[in-house]
Amino acid sequence: MSSTQSGGGAAPPAVELRGITKRFPGVVANHDINITVRPGSVHAIVGENGAGKSTLMKTLYGMHQPDEGTVSVDGQVVRLHSPSDAIAHGIGMVHQHFMLADNLTVLENVVLGAERLHGIGARARARVRELSAQYGLRVDPDRLMEELGVGDRQRVEILKVLYRGARIVILDEPTAVLVPQEVDELFDNLRELKREGLTVIFISHKLDEVLSVADTITVIRRGTTVATVDPSGTTARDLASLMVGGELPVPGLRESTVTDEVVLDLRDLRVEAADGRPVLQDVSLRIRRGEIVGIAGVEGNGQSELIETIMGMRPAVSGRVELGGTDITGWTTRAIREAGIGYVPEDRHRHGVLLESPLWENRVLGHQTQPPNSKGLLIDRAGARADTERIVAEYDVRTPGIDVLAGALSGGNQQKLIVGREMSHDPKVLVAAHPTRGVDVGAQAAIWGHLRAARAKGLAVLLISADLDELIGMSDTLHVILRGRLVAEADPATVTPEQLGSAMTGAGLSSDDEEPGPREDEAEA
Amino acid sequence: MITSTPAVAAAVTGVVGVAVTALLDLGLIAPVALAIGVAVAAACAALLGPRGSGEAASPLHRRLVPLVAGALAILLGLLTAVIADLWLIEPVAYPLGALVGSLLGFWLHRRLGTLLSLAISAVAIAGVLAFALTALVLLVTGVDPVYTFGRMLSYGSQPDSIVTIINTATTYYLSAVAVAIGFKMKLFNIGVDGQYRLAALLAAAVGGAWVLPPGLHQFVIILVAVAVGGFWAGIAGYLKVTRGVSEVISTIMLNSIATGITAYLLSTDRLAIEIGTNNVGTPPIPESGWIPGIPAGFMGADREIFGLSLLAVAVGVGYWLLLNRTRFGFDLRATGQSATAAQASGVDVKKMVLISMVISGMVAGLVGMPQLLGDSHYYALDFPTGLGFTGIAIALLGRNHPVGIALAALFWGFLNHSAQILDIDGIPKEIAVVTQATIVLTVVVVYEIVHRWGRRYEQQQVGKELGRVKVATS
Repeated sequence: MSSTQSGGGAAPPAVELRGITKRFPGVVANHDINITVRPGSVHAIVGENGAGKSTLMKTLYGMHQPDEGTVSVDGQVVRLHSPSDAIAHGIGMVHQHFMLADNLTVLENVVLGAERLHGIGARARARVRELSAQYGLRVDPDRLMEELGVGDRQRVEILKVLYRGARIVILDEPTAVLVPQEVDELFDNLRELKREGLTVIFISHKLDEVLSVADTITVIRRGTTVATVDPSGTTARDLASLMVGGELPVPGLRESTVTDEVVLDLRDLRVEAADGRPVLQDVSLRIRRGEIVGIAGVEGNGQSELIETIMGMRPAVSGRVELGGTDITGWTTRAIREAGIGYVPEDRHRHGVLLESPLWENRVLGHQTQPPNSKGLLIDRAGARADTERIVAEYDVRTPGIDVLAGALSGGNQQKLIVGREMSHDPKVLVAAHPTRGVDVGAQAAIWGHLRAARAKGLAVLLISADLDELIGMSDTLHVILRGRLVAEADPATVTPEQLGSAMTGAGLSSDDEEPGPREDEAEA
Repeated sequence: MITSTPAVAAAVTGVVGVAVTALLDLGLIAPVALAIGVAVAAACAALLGPRGSGEAASPLHRRLVPLVAGALAILLGLLTAVIADLWLIEPVAYPLGALVGSLLGFWLHRRLGTLLSLAISAVAIAGVLAFALTALVLLVTGVDPVYTFGRMLSYGSQPDSIVTIINTATTYYLSAVAVAIGFKMKLFNIGVDGQYRLAALLAAAVGGAWVLPPGLHQFVIILVAVAVGGFWAGIAGYLKVTRGVSEVISTIMLNSIATGITAYLLSTDRLAIEIGTNNVGTPPIPESGWIPGIPAGFMGADREIFGLSLLAVAVGVGYWLLLNRTRFGFDLRATGQSATAAQASGVDVKKMVLISMVISGMVAGLVGMPQLLGDSHYYALDFPTGLGFTGIAIALLGRNHPVGIALAALFWGFLNHSAQILDIDGIPKEIAVVTQATIVLTVVVVYEIVHRWGRRYEQQQVGKELGRVKVATS
């Protein structure tokens, strides 16, 4: 804990937070936080969502000022009035929600707002290449942002921070979107940063990862620091109990509820990007009543396209989508939703909620044409409001009322509302993309519980997730998607995250890149 | 606290307001008496019983709404009284105003949402700022602002002025609603101007060429106007949907094209005939196609209010219903807020863009109708132009809210009309333009600031509520 390990006692701490207290009217979000981060170390901050990590990081990044306590950088007490102050002091932050412009290239995104450093031309490009190579970030400065998957986007975010000369890098839940191999790579990058003398502050709730990469771990619970521990002298179990005061929930299914009745049947789907490049090829998939089919894959390998094709937001070039024997290929999104496909989108803020609208209107969203939301052509306000109250109660959405704007709720509560709303229309199929991403432990367990209960009642679920434990624990059948193809099928009962991870990167679970192989397996199953 | 039925509570509020006003009226000047009366009534409303909407939980709501409701009630009560005073005696007019104010105060207190209250406060702050700036400009140019505003107020509240203001406001209102429909979708229909001019010209030509039975005649004229407006705006919508052309660019272009077409058609070789000296216009519409005015003699005015001002009211009500009560309106608002979320929810965004553009154009087609059917009866070179641009300013000022736009349109009309008197005193009447410009700017800025603050405040409130829950469960 104290600065004796590597830096040699003389070096001042890179960051020192002393007695930080941050109050919002009526609530104390942070209370007497004390953290000392040694220079050139990876310091993990763990805690449940809602424990106050984000508030603390906003304080450190200058997004608001603490009511009490001091922030010191390199031994000097500083006052950070804005993120630009923080950047001037060498503090950079990679946010959980990326802040990138889709219509610009990687280079343009990186230099945006930092044009003074190396201009916007060749010099900047060279610098981006250099940083990219130095830390193994593998980003091509000239690609368009909208072509990149979530994993690449994160690397661009890290690059942005490095480009601005940060010596202290804050990473907010960086591994939530990565597969194990990528996580290892990220951790290699972090170690590289560390070797170069940079300091990394790493926010997470994945304890195994934290234990493998961090030099020091600080646990936050209910807004205050409860312990600072050395990873070599602790276990995930100890950390978990420090974090939540109990056991972590484990994803899992009980007995199989899979039936013979195929509800969603995808046949030889082919989808192309705007430039004619195939993003999905020969995708055939069956989901039966009471079955959860998981799709494992590195982000950007066609998962989003698969979901959008099923939901009618993206046309299929060839192939069919059948719902309960009815061909729904080419139907509008609304017709598909009315036919009984529920949708928990991958990106809540883009596809799931209207942040500026009250909760009850968000309950209507996606089911505008169905009771209790509407009567004929009119919106049934009373019905929708009453049903929102029910969802808030049943799905434990923490909110003062249903007239609160959705944007005022935490991510976990927004997600619970979305899950509740999608479940409320008795869907035959639920397309769930990252249903527990960025939600707290309690909400995660609750969402898993709802999925299990619905599965028992015969719901067919397509589960797409980056959390391999979730995939393995919650799926009856697992497919691996790679470059737009389903390349392997795994048995969730026996497969390990490592095996799955290597299949996701193309090293192969069974077959390599042979096209027909896995599809025949699929047909037999 | 006594829980009572809303009807009883409303009655009590009304009686309190009227009684206090009537009593105070004996000792104080009437407007002050009314203000105090309504304020007391509003306080009663705040004390009486539960509120209708479910937002009462938020402290912001508890603090803000009674204030805003009270202030609005006093304002509207005064307005009612001033107008009623034109044909009733003062001891009747002011208690009547107090009654209206008190009941409105009661109703507003129950129904006003937090966001709406914030918006109203923002507009009020902006109004004060705008007037302060205008006063400053007047002071710098050596004119007494109090005297100037006094002149404008006294001239603007004369019966004939009120009628003129209502009539211009009717046209402004239609234009602003047309713009607001676009704004709700994040579409910027700058083309209202071309849409209404083209619509009015063709409608006037059709109306002047045919003689139809009354009723049908007006209906056909309005139908032509709506169709032409919708079609003209639809072109911009179609281009946006199919070719990705920004509606800002295409509507500006379409304005120019409309000007060209109008000039081409408005010649004696084509649709127009000689009207007076140096003026050509479409053949006058026969009397069967006129829409009679509403006589305003009851308040001592010689002029008549446009019959189609009722159409503007209907459009306003329709706009509100469409947006807030229908599925279509929900889809429209959702698309405006987040096109991606709307698409994921099943909205066909492209169709939505096209339809809302057409609807916006249809309303724009109505803009020229009150003037055409209620006053000039033909489309000539002197037909009012530029109303589409005024509509943009008024939609901004009214924050796209049907009532807000109405008040903004009246206010705009008031400034335009009452400034005419300043010429007599040798004060530049362009001062009204200064006020109009500053108020639009300040409203946009202040609204955004207040809105952000409100959102942050709400987030904090949510955090606070959850904090409580946590403490309770831990």
